[in-house]
Amino acid sequence: MDIFLDYLKVFAVGGLVCLIGQILINKTQMTSARILVLYMLVGVVLEVSGAFEYMKEFAGSGVTIPIMGFGSNLAKGALEGAKTNGFLGAVTGGLSSVAAGLTTVIVCGFVFGLIAKSRSKKI
Amino acid sequence: MLERKEYQDYVSQNAPRSPMTRTLIAAFIVGGLICCIGEGIGDIIKLIFKEMSDKDVAIWESCIMIFLGSLFTALGLYDKLGHYAGGGSIIPITGFANSVISPAMEYNREGVFYGICAKMFTVAGPIIVFGVVASFLVGFIGYFAM
Amino acid sequence: MRTIKLKRPVYIKSGFTIVGPKEGDGNFGDCYDIVLNDDIWCEKSYEKCECKMHRDAITGAIKKAGLQREDIDILMGGDLLNELSPTSLAARNFPTAFLGLYNACSTFGEAMLVASMLIDAGFAKNITCSTSSHYSSAERQYRFPLELGNQRPPTAQWTVTGAGCTVLSSEMPSQMNERVYEDDIIAIDENMNIDEKTLEKYKKSIDKQKKVINISKSNILDGNYGKENNDYMRVNSHCAVVTGGTLGRVIDLGIDDEANMGAAMAPAACDTILTHFKESGLTPGDYDGIFTGDLGRFGRDTLKYLLSKEGITLPGYYMDTGASYYTPEQKTFQGGSGAGCVNTVFNSYILKKLQRGEYKRILVVPTGALLNKDTPLQQETIPGIAHAFTVESKAF
Repeated sequence: MDIFLDYLKVFAVGGLVCLIGQILINKTQMTSARILVLYMLVGVVLEVSGAFEYMKEFAGSGVTIPIMGFGSNLAKGALEGAKTNGFLGAVTGGLSSVAAGLTTVIVCGFVFGLIAKSRSKKI
Repeated sequence: MLERKEYQDYVSQNAPRSPMTRTLIAAFIVGGLICCIGEGIGDIIKLIFKEMSDKDVAIWESCIMIFLGSLFTALGLYDKLGHYAGGGSIIPITGFANSVISPAMEYNREGVFYGICAKMFTVAGPIIVFGVVASFLVGFIGYFAM
Repeated sequence: MRTIKLKRPVYIKSGFTIVGPKEGDGNFGDCYDIVLNDDIWCEKSYEKCECKMHRDAITGAIKKAGLQREDIDILMGGDLLNELSPTSLAARNFPTAFLGLYNACSTFGEAMLVASMLIDAGFAKNITCSTSSHYSSAERQYRFPLELGNQRPPTAQWTVTGAGCTVLSSEMPSQMNERVYEDDIIAIDENMNIDEKTLEKYKKSIDKQKKVINISKSNILDGNYGKENNDYMRVNSHCAVVTGGTLGRVIDLGIDDEANMGAAMAPAACDTILTHFKESGLTPGDYDGIFTGDLGRFGRDTLKYLLSKEGITLPGYYMDTGASYYTPEQKTFQGGSGAGCVNTVFNSYILKKLQRGEYKRILVVPTGALLNKDTPLQQETIPGIAHAFTVESKAF
């Protein structure tokens, strides 16, 4: 029963995050890149203000799978780096905390770019 | 003919709009489901590798989600999902993967060098740039505040 | 004075159209000469496919008119891509003078007007006017990669995958169209300008290319001559004559949403139609067909609104080719757009009706939105343009 409740929380919070994004798309005709940047910056702000920890505690993947998680990782890495490694840590911390994700996306992009071709939209 | 102002008002009042209810429900359900899939992957990793730290589980989880987003883009399914779900499939990390893989697939006809590699971040470039700049600012301010 | 009245009749010898699969399922699906099963036609990229469609539309139109390549004096045409690459690359297959034109989606109107003026002045005898557009190549140039999972806004239009060509001539056409076989379209000839290696590949892919043609929907194939209103079995009672037109002016009412091109083009269409009626002294009642280019459903309503403010009511037979192009089930939202939109409808549906004498005099107003990918980013507004030409049918 606990696990069901956990997933319900993830579903509700994740859905809500996307729903707010959809309202923005409908109202302002924002392009997908702008939406992603906006959400990532929201993630940075939430992490710096400390609210992201509580949200993660509550909803888990519901807030880390949306691109906010990427932004919060960047901010968290930079802050931790500053704490442990001084100024150099502040500079390297952000990127090194998301290095795994970035490497995956670039390698996947290269490999799938080589083997797959885009096709016309069939709607 | 109408004045500029008058015409612009007419257009902004009368232009067709997205159907709110349908798109919002689709975004909610698809977004929630993608997050649940992520959570499920995290739980499975935890079951298999019991001694892994929570942080590593989260990293593995997002890497696998990125791979899945790339795979579905390469199979040509993600754009259909995006057309249906909008924000529901753009905002999760799979949407970020989609915005990197789709230009790579689109421009591979111009070759590996100037096509795939040069154009890979035409859509997702701002995300990386904004992210890195923001993290630098946070670290910079954090360092001096401490 | 922007309205032109031609002194000599400029005949439309033939029209030939090639469209993609989605267009074949649309409202005019049974009128086109060739409907393809897929929109890449055995080529490596969508740009190459557009180039091939463009070339074959010209080839088909010349054959259908009963002419040879050498009989054509000038090729005129354009498309939507950078530096008119598909048209220019298609033109290298012809031993003919070439004029590349660009007016966005209204290129067809521009080509028809310029060509008929040249013929009227006696500088040329036969001119081809061709335009093409391709959904996938236009999408990549103007918008986003195809596989990007974004949502199309409800004001968006769908770029038509299609190419069409009209042959204009100072000579009267014959009452029957020359037959065009698939071997005329997919053929090897010395004009192809390709090297040995590519030629070998081309020879091998001929059977494959033929399979891409949708037999049941196309008009050109042997087995298809029983089809109702087939172009090649019909004896035309009338011939179509271009009699004049009105050159368009660039109008900008400050629309800056590149996803809403109907709104950007409607004022230009309104201006051209008003000028045409004013300068020619005619009224909408003098025409039995009025067609605008690719305003889309919202743009069409906007044009009606703008004209009603000027005291002109468009009659019930007024049609926007973009808005009528696809069925609502195809989910294109506003309908078709692109340089191939008005062209393919004119050369198939409208031309057939003219040749049967069902239209006496029509006004065609192709419209275009003048932008590239960077101008909206530089905070420029989107101006529109529209050219109008009139076509009459004359009994043989």
